[in-house]
Amino acid sequence: MNRLVIASAGSGKTNLIVKSAVDDAKAGKRVLITTFTEACEHEIRSKIIQLNGCVPASVDIITWFSFLIRHGVKPFQGCLFDFDTKGMLLVSGRSGLKFQGKMFPVYWGEDDFEKFYFTEDKRIYSDKLAQLVVRLQEASKGLVFERIRRCYEKIYIDEVQDLAGYDLEVLDLLFKIDSDVLLVGDPRQATYATNNSRKNKKYVKSAIVNFFLDERLGIDIDDTSLQVNHRCAPAICDYSNKLFPNMNPATSGNRDVTGHDGVFLVVKEKLGQYLESFQPVQLRDSIKTETDSNYKSMNFGKSKGLTLGRVLIYPSAPMVKWMCNNDAELTQAARSKFYVALTRAKNSVGIVVSKTEVKKITDLDVYE
Amino acid sequence: MRITKLLVENFKSFKERFEVEFTEGLNIVVGDNEAGKSTILEAINLALTGFYINRPLRGELNQYLFNETSVRNYLDSLKGGAPESPPQILIELYLTDEEPMLSGDFNRDRIASSGIHVSIEFNEEYRAEYEALIAAGELKTLPIEYYHVIWKSFSRELITARSIPIKCAYIDSTSARYQNGSDVYIGRIVKDLLSPEEIVSVSQSHRQMKETFMGAPAIDAINKKITVASKITDKEIKISVELSSKNAWESGLMTYLNEIPFHFIGKGEQSIVKTNLALAHEKAKEASVVLIEEPENHLSHSKLNQLINTIKVSCIKKQVIVTTHSSFVANKLGLNSLILLDNKKTLRLNKLSLGTWSFFEKISGYDTLRLVLCKKAILVEGDSDELVVQKAYKDIHGALPIENCVEVISVGISFLRFLEIAEKLEKQVSVVTDNDGDVPALLKKYSEYLGAKKKPYIDICYDSVVDVGALMIGGKPFNYNTLEPKLIKSNGLAKMNLVLGTAYLDDQGLQVHMRANKTECALKVFDSKLEIAYPDYILDSIK
Repeated sequence: MNRLVIASAGSGKTNLIVKSAVDDAKAGKRVLITTFTEACEHEIRSKIIQLNGCVPASVDIITWFSFLIRHGVKPFQGCLFDFDTKGMLLVSGRSGLKFQGKMFPVYWGEDDFEKFYFTEDKRIYSDKLAQLVVRLQEASKGLVFERIRRCYEKIYIDEVQDLAGYDLEVLDLLFKIDSDVLLVGDPRQATYATNNSRKNKKYVKSAIVNFFLDERLGIDIDDTSLQVNHRCAPAICDYSNKLFPNMNPATSGNRDVTGHDGVFLVVKEKLGQYLESFQPVQLRDSIKTETDSNYKSMNFGKSKGLTLGRVLIYPSAPMVKWMCNNDAELTQAARSKFYVALTRAKNSVGIVVSKTEVKKITDLDVYE
Repeated sequence: MRITKLLVENFKSFKERFEVEFTEGLNIVVGDNEAGKSTILEAINLALTGFYINRPLRGELNQYLFNETSVRNYLDSLKGGAPESPPQILIELYLTDEEPMLSGDFNRDRIASSGIHVSIEFNEEYRAEYEALIAAGELKTLPIEYYHVIWKSFSRELITARSIPIKCAYIDSTSARYQNGSDVYIGRIVKDLLSPEEIVSVSQSHRQMKETFMGAPAIDAINKKITVASKITDKEIKISVELSSKNAWESGLMTYLNEIPFHFIGKGEQSIVKTNLALAHEKAKEASVVLIEEPENHLSHSKLNQLINTIKVSCIKKQVIVTTHSSFVANKLGLNSLILLDNKKTLRLNKLSLGTWSFFEKISGYDTLRLVLCKKAILVEGDSDELVVQKAYKDIHGALPIENCVEVISVGISFLRFLEIAEKLEKQVSVVTDNDGDVPALLKKYSEYLGAKKKPYIDICYDSVVDVGALMIGGKPFNYNTLEPKLIKSNGLAKMNLVLGTAYLDDQGLQVHMRANKTECALKVFDSKLEIAYPDYILDSIK
């Protein structure tokens, strides 16, 4: 039976995968664990090592893109093309530009197979990887997923909210084979999408849950068993819940007291002192945001899946607006990033704001 | 898991695509010298281990791995102005489908199968250097420094020997050694027998031993002395043991047999020990492949017999691929497992009747491989017939049959057994047989090869005339229809007396003499300088 577990940050989604995978391996089963980000892949790997001493030989941990290339494309690529692929080109927009027209850009169509799927130097465009896998499954008359079925009895997919477009068709194919699939994810953390394909557009990011609601897929959806956020202190947990008022709120399971617990506003003038006292990891929207280079910095997106002690967030302008007024408009992507940043911390979150902004934010303490 | 098929191209003697299929259990590859038997085993071993002649292939690339003609054609093409691309070696090993990770369609024919691909090909990253080299026009050898080895599964994943579930033991009597003289194969075989935990504990013990050595007071004293005595440098100089290589124990340890270092025992015993060790190795889950090159080398008949029995018993659970020149080995192991390698093509002898292969298995002395490997065979009943046919052939063709790859084989009364093999191989064969006074019986015996059922490549040669006479020997009528009386008939008494150095006054006397001294008379015929008239059916057989 295929199962989707929806749960908030820090609720032990990854631990669920790690535990089940190690148990499966002990029972002699072959296991695949795949996730979107490399950071998360490392996290899973080190958690398995913590639990088991080493990664069992029968457990493969690879990123979603590696999975698509290694098991989706390469084994039976001979059905559609003959040349050696040189890996993948990560693209954020639409790939395969034919020419820039006067009014709008013109793209290669799928009939121009090589130009549509590959760069000049034969790398696969990341946004079309899953689509190519679907085409190869068709061309090989099902050999691709038949092979995957024989390779893995158990398949775990972490961070499932990051999948989009043809990725969902790939999931559909995985659901059809005999291997057991367990997906975990948190629609609140949909900061990335593996691609911006027009395919399955309506399920992108946090709307992905709707895709699994389709009864034909036969997925058992579980959004209740993991509701306790073991990572974040109660105040952090409560504040992050506010970002998604329509979803089941998580409750905190972290009872640690350190003397500096919760969410605090830090005015720019106190930044140096705050950094020195608490040594937080600085989280920012992008590399363009200036941070103190004496302390560790990381983009919001990159921090996903990590557990940190203390963080200091450099919010974007819309995030500040939202803090001032929770009804202010905040895009889905920004909302998710803010949620991710908040929920990294076990003990404390500092949020950098100006003196004028501090006055407009009423529901948070100010660091003095 | 086992090998189902090997495909090679451009590898050593195989220029064109060459394929050979293997069955489970035993496979015996026979072929002439230079037919490529060893190359087949090398290719399999290479694909399974990444080793070529006991060294990792990556470090051993050289021009001589490539087919010589391909290399020459390529180099000539550069001179001729219509350059070809650099030649590429391809080895594909098809496996049964138990390991899905190895499955895909990365093979010549784009067939979905499990398997391993090895290619030695030009590395495209060196295009610029290669271009410069071509432009300079000075390429006289293959630019092997720009080649690399690609070792992948059929799913296009890079692989290592670890990721291949088939373990392979390659037993070859031309043994290669580590610097210290310990045998590479035996080291590997022993290592294969050990579990990963055991390997770790062996290497740790080995390391401890070295460390103990280094910590010994005597070594310390020596090192102090060296440091004081050396004027070469200000730095400290000391002797130590090499600890860098993680597999140091393999090359550092020696195998002993009854207190004698392995390489000091006889070659024959070495073969037996190696084979036995390899065959005893059984990692429960994984069926192994054992490659044995010419087991008959260095072995006496009885030792060979022992070895073959071991091979037979063990191969029930393993795939064994043997090359051999020995009919005894082939007969003993079972002719139905025979793969004939001839002119870069293969032929299987797998549909022999049960009676025939068990006949040769039990009476293993017959020269079946001579029949299998020759261009044409003439089957005769006994030694005297063999000598006379050889002589007739030499008189007509000016050379002994063997010089033209024609084998004259004494088969006793087993004509039909040999013919069954010949029929499977469509081998040119003449049967020289006496009519023994009963032509209808002969026609019945060979009915599968005569009349409407005549095979274009099989001739049954006999005298259709039945001779009769009054001579009785020991109360039984004399057989006038064997070679000797037929020779007297075609040459006349006087000529035969000359040839044999006898002086019989009548045919009967000579007939009795020849009957009693068949081989001796045949030798006289063979050595005779006189022109001999041969019966027509003999001449028919050597056409």
